[in-house]
Amino acid sequence: MAFEIADVTKNYAMNGVGVQALAGVTFDVADNEYVAIMGPSGSGKSTLMNIIGCLDVPTSGSYVLDGQDVSSLGEDQLAEIRNIKIGFVFQTFNLLPRADVFHNVELPLIYRGLSPAKRRTKVNEAIEAVGLADRSTHKPTELSGGQRQRAAIARALVTDPSIILADEPTGNLDSTTGQEIMRIFDGLHAAGNTIILVTHEANIADHAHRVVRLLDGRIASDTTRKVAA
Amino acid sequence: MRGLRSIFGALKIAIGAVRANPARGILTTLGIVIGVVAVVTTMTAANGLANSFRESVATLGSDVLYVSRTPWVMTGNFFDFRNRGNVTLKHGDELDQRLRHQAIVNPTADTRRSIKYRSKTRTNIMVIGTTDRYLQVSSAVPELGRFITAADVRARKRVCVIGMTLRERLFDRQDPINATVRIGRADFRVVGVMERQGSAGFFGGPDFDSQVIVPVTTFVRAFGGSFRSFDLAVKAPPGESIADFEYEVVGEMRKIRKLRPGENDNFAINTMDSLVTMFNNVMGVVLLIGMVITGIALFVGGIGVMNIMFVSVTERTREIGIRKAIGAKRRVILWQFLFESCTICLVGGLIGLVLSYGVAEAINRLLMPASVSLPIVIVAITVSLVVGVASGLIPAWRASRMRPVEALRYE
Repeated sequence: MAFEIADVTKNYAMNGVGVQALAGVTFDVADNEYVAIMGPSGSGKSTLMNIIGCLDVPTSGSYVLDGQDVSSLGEDQLAEIRNIKIGFVFQTFNLLPRADVFHNVELPLIYRGLSPAKRRTKVNEAIEAVGLADRSTHKPTELSGGQRQRAAIARALVTDPSIILADEPTGNLDSTTGQEIMRIFDGLHAAGNTIILVTHEANIADHAHRVVRLLDGRIASDTTRKVAA
Repeated sequence: MRGLRSIFGALKIAIGAVRANPARGILTTLGIVIGVVAVVTTMTAANGLANSFRESVATLGSDVLYVSRTPWVMTGNFFDFRNRGNVTLKHGDELDQRLRHQAIVNPTADTRRSIKYRSKTRTNIMVIGTTDRYLQVSSAVPELGRFITAADVRARKRVCVIGMTLRERLFDRQDPINATVRIGRADFRVVGVMERQGSAGFFGGPDFDSQVIVPVTTFVRAFGGSFRSFDLAVKAPPGESIADFEYEVVGEMRKIRKLRPGENDNFAINTMDSLVTMFNNVMGVVLLIGMVITGIALFVGGIGVMNIMFVSVTERTREIGIRKAIGAKRRVILWQFLFESCTICLVGGLIGLVLSYGVAEAINRLLMPASVSLPIVIVAITVSLVVGVASGLIPAWRASRMRPVEALRYE
């Protein structure tokens, strides 16, 4: 089991008014699943993504990631979990603008404390896997949107995470480039990775084998379909 | 090894961050630059003062006291000193008789005259009249030729011994021995040149290397003696404390000056202590002023760095969010920004040090011997780092406490 979420709620205070973003969400994801989380804005999908990504902790309920209960960990422990178990891909890429592709991909391994020699091998493998080997010394500003997102995927891959968590990964790309990026995710899934996509675009969600729809902080539907390979 | 690597990595990030906005970095360091220049200049000046002082004081000798009409450092009513009778050569002879078997007494008088050799003239030169015993009460020794002798004094020979600076100014590379110089309106034959002793000229002390020494008897004849007050240098016998000996000298002088019990002394005993006291006062003022200027400059500089660090942290909120999302712990972010503020301050400190070399060189030329020593360099670098940590701590702490979700959302 990649993770189990049981009866998770999340409350915020927004301008002094209490808002319930998640009102009791329960679902499990097995290893090597390909899941899309969908829902209109305000449905709580960002909040759910933050909790799955260990960027935030639930108000109540439990979240067991890779057999470890992470729902009440401290900030530094969460940072370590994120480093080891989560690979993030963001809509806005979120690369460090002053660092080149190699350094951006290397960063999680630096925080893990690997030696430069080990880092070099892993970083080159990850950059190769997304087809950016000839761009590794370029800075993000010298890359196209698609190339930036490839760099971000390489950064997510390089730590060999339990989950790759992609938040609207094609949101800032044209449809052709978006499809290219989605083919990379398909390939990663085929290679055995667990992938969670957060999106509101149906054609993106179509790549996933299971779609979880959120509405008003609850799961409205959870459908698994057979997809021809 | 791992710690070293992360320090190295943090340093690289910090240098990159400073280089990304060099104009801002340089402006920010200005306060630190000024602060470090102030630190280095204060310490260099204090060192220079102390060295010059030590040199000149060593010449005077710590086991010698000076009987004079007035104290070197005058306090109290000026007219009390003004109305005192002179200390004469006769007093010197009497004191010598009374202390003959224990102490050495050497009279000196001084005046200022011009000194001329061929076409070269130096004006306002200190001319000292003394005896052969001068060598026994001071650490001065002749480097060339000889000192004046008892025979010179007895026979009122027109001979003189000159200081090293004077020799250079009047003779260049020529041999000064046996040359005839004109001091005031009398001709003297140069018989020796004194070894270099260093100058204490900047705080009113004598410049020993620009003096001329002549026999005291010749001095009286050439420049007048009846209206002069002499200084009597008295060297304490070996093993006797200078304080006990001072008591004895005071007793003998009171007899010589025929003072009744209860009357105040009408002469002064000067020792090294009075000079040391004066020096410590000068030094205290120099250090106090230096420390105030330094403190203000560093404080202002530190505030500037703190301000720019707050800006830097805010500007890079998103970067902080990214770093945290991919696994940077709070301590890592804290170090990153601390390193950055330390780098800014260190760069400022190094610029300040380079400028300080210039300032020290200027002091050297205009005021006194001064040089930037290794301990001063270490202090300057330490001070820069301390300011770096002090001004970076709060911004870095704020950065490390940012919540990743909010930092990532920051536009």
